[in-house]
Amino acid sequence: MAMTKDEILKEIQDVLVDALGVDDDEVTPQAKLMADLGAESIDFLDIVFRMEKAFGIKIPREELFPAEALLSTADFVSGGKLTQKGLDELKKRMPHTDISKFAADPNVNKIGDLFTVQVLVDFVAAKLN
Amino acid sequence: MKFVLIDKIVKLETAKEIITTKNVSLSEEYLADHFPVFPVLPGVFLLQGLIESACWLVRQSQNFANSMVLLAQAKNVKYKSFAAPGMQIRYTVTAKDIEDNISSFVGSGECNGEPIVDARFSLRHFNLAEKNSKFAIEDAYIIEKLKERYKLLYSGQ
Repeated sequence: MAMTKDEILKEIQDVLVDALGVDDDEVTPQAKLMADLGAESIDFLDIVFRMEKAFGIKIPREELFPAEALLSTADFVSGGKLTQKGLDELKKRMPHTDISKFAADPNVNKIGDLFTVQVLVDFVAAKLN
Repeated sequence: MKFVLIDKIVKLETAKEIITTKNVSLSEEYLADHFPVFPVLPGVFLLQGLIESACWLVRQSQNFANSMVLLAQAKNVKYKSFAAPGMQIRYTVTAKDIEDNISSFVGSGECNGEPIVDARFSLRHFNLAEKNSKFAIEDAYIIEKLKERYKLLYSGQ
């Protein structure tokens, strides 16, 4: 079922309003899920589930939010930063996202900033079309 | 394990503001899974630190009148950075309004000037005896325990 990115954005806005208790005008494409919308680990599970229902697709959690899988593997993290292996893995799991700014200083504290509303839209668009 | 998400009350201004600290420790059991190679305090516990701080402000300001001080609503929660073992988070919670049974707050947590968490939230407070007078004994017991805990947390006036 082909949807335009605007249609996908509208659905994702509804998902995030329900999952995070935010207002729709807060859910802009550039909004960061954690720093702007207050999403944290438990919420990612809820968001994935609601998106599966909204779009009728299967979404393995590590596909949409690879950070948790990366932060559980010793090879990928060292001294609070992603290793080159970790960066390669991140790039592989988020092929539609420009991670170059993050890669310049891959401080794990900043990994949350990669996950914006736009990333969710692009993910669904790639899955559907 | 017991969940106590603040370690010390640093400053308290009755009905106005409370400042508390929480030291993140590697020994906190939930860190083993969150995450195995990058242990950080789960976001809900950062929020809980803010809520507990506000609860103590309400209790002290109301002279421990209510045994139950609970979260009613949390809004505009923002997680700015992670809190890892070895860090001390300093929570500052300011009361917007404290009435008999409801109160509202703005709170933030930071570590060495780096913002960690922000939130706006409201609490509701009451005694169990209001619903059933048989619970007056429980209210008294809970309040006694809370007063003891308060003495551990706060050595100021």
